[in-house]
Amino acid sequence: MTGISTFIMVLEGLLAGVGVTVLVTLASLALGVALGFGLALVRQFGRLRAAHFLIDAYCEIMRNIPALTHLFILYFGLASIGLRLSALVAAVLGLGLIGAAVTCDLFRSGFSALPNGQREAALAVGFTPFQAIFDILTPQALRIALPSLGNYAVQLLKDTSIVSAIAAPEIMFYARSMVTSSFQTTLIYVTAAGLYLLLSLPLMQAVRFLESRYGRLKA
Amino acid sequence: MSDFIQPYLEYGGEWAPLLIRAMGTTALLSICAFALSLVFGLLLSLCRHARSPVLRHFATAYVSLVRGVPLLAILFLLYFGLPGVGITFNAFSGAVLGLALAFAAQVAELFRAGLMAIPRGQREAALAVGFTPIQSFRLIVLPQVVRVIIAPLIVTFVSLLKDSSLASLITVNELVLTGRAMATEYFLPLQIYLAVGLCYFLIAWPFSLLSRRLAAPTG
Repeated sequence: MTGISTFIMVLEGLLAGVGVTVLVTLASLALGVALGFGLALVRQFGRLRAAHFLIDAYCEIMRNIPALTHLFILYFGLASIGLRLSALVAAVLGLGLIGAAVTCDLFRSGFSALPNGQREAALAVGFTPFQAIFDILTPQALRIALPSLGNYAVQLLKDTSIVSAIAAPEIMFYARSMVTSSFQTTLIYVTAAGLYLLLSLPLMQAVRFLESRYGRLKA
Repeated sequence: MSDFIQPYLEYGGEWAPLLIRAMGTTALLSICAFALSLVFGLLLSLCRHARSPVLRHFATAYVSLVRGVPLLAILFLLYFGLPGVGITFNAFSGAVLGLALAFAAQVAELFRAGLMAIPRGQREAALAVGFTPIQSFRLIVLPQVVRVIIAPLIVTFVSLLKDSSLASLITVNELVLTGRAMATEYFLPLQIYLAVGLCYFLIAWPFSLLSRRLAAPTG
């Protein structure tokens, strides 16, 4: 009986963080996808050499440095020169800026998978280059990129747990602070893991659906 | 700008040895964890092809369970949670085990994809010319699998290297934790975390370039 009531107490404590976990996931996903799509368009269709170089450099820097380091730079580093971000803003900004580099690559491989003829045909039948990109190429590239974008979303959901290191009040943050006040360490972390699993399993199921639906278009 | 550069000139000589030593810890941690995850991952992928349904279900459940739970939860559970049931690790071996258990799921998926890419005839032919099942796997199938998956394996290693930064949160004295200690000592978090980011980049980037080189059709 006491076991069950302790569990309920732990669960209630952790549920307080679910909202922030979901919020950080969605906000950084939106930022990452929007920015990544823009970068992919410029990198794929822009003519400016300097822009290509900058985008490539950005992606390399973002993808070869751990998210935790990026978060510390944004949260502790910028604060030291007077640019004080709240933990939540730093978390969304950090994960979103990294996500932009990740999704930029995903969108680009979507665009690269399309045969050149698609664009040429669109131009030949009188689409403007702009229309060709947005009306003909983008919908096809999106379908190809969708399963990998879904996998990225699952990864992102799990990665939000590290923003507890800059004290953003999500699930892991509550878990860590509960551990210091009660001594139910194992129970708390198992419950936290279970909560993440409850959030990520439906997402993984959705990705599997997308893969079965759109995956074969890859060939 | 000169305010920003100046600490590097002033303290660079003190910081460099600390960071280099921490880079060594990060590298050692990542290499140990990666080696172990290759072993676990190979075993898991063999379980998925096993005749016993128990092993098959175990492997499938393990992969989806681990892929749905954040690495941080796994690390906290191993390091802070298991002592509650009488199992203790030191921080370094806890981090190695946690990283290996988490990445084994990814490695297993890679091996599985690699195994499916090798035609059945290879194994059948090896058996027909008198190799034992183990020899045919080790000498004929596995080398070909490794060729197929070497590029994604290196990408996985880079992710593991980045995720090894989470070991700082269970008190492994690697790059991020060293950076934190330095940041509190010198009150220069921006400069120090940027230097930490550069250290990661210096380790990770060559591997990223290598993986792309190997993945290119001409390579």
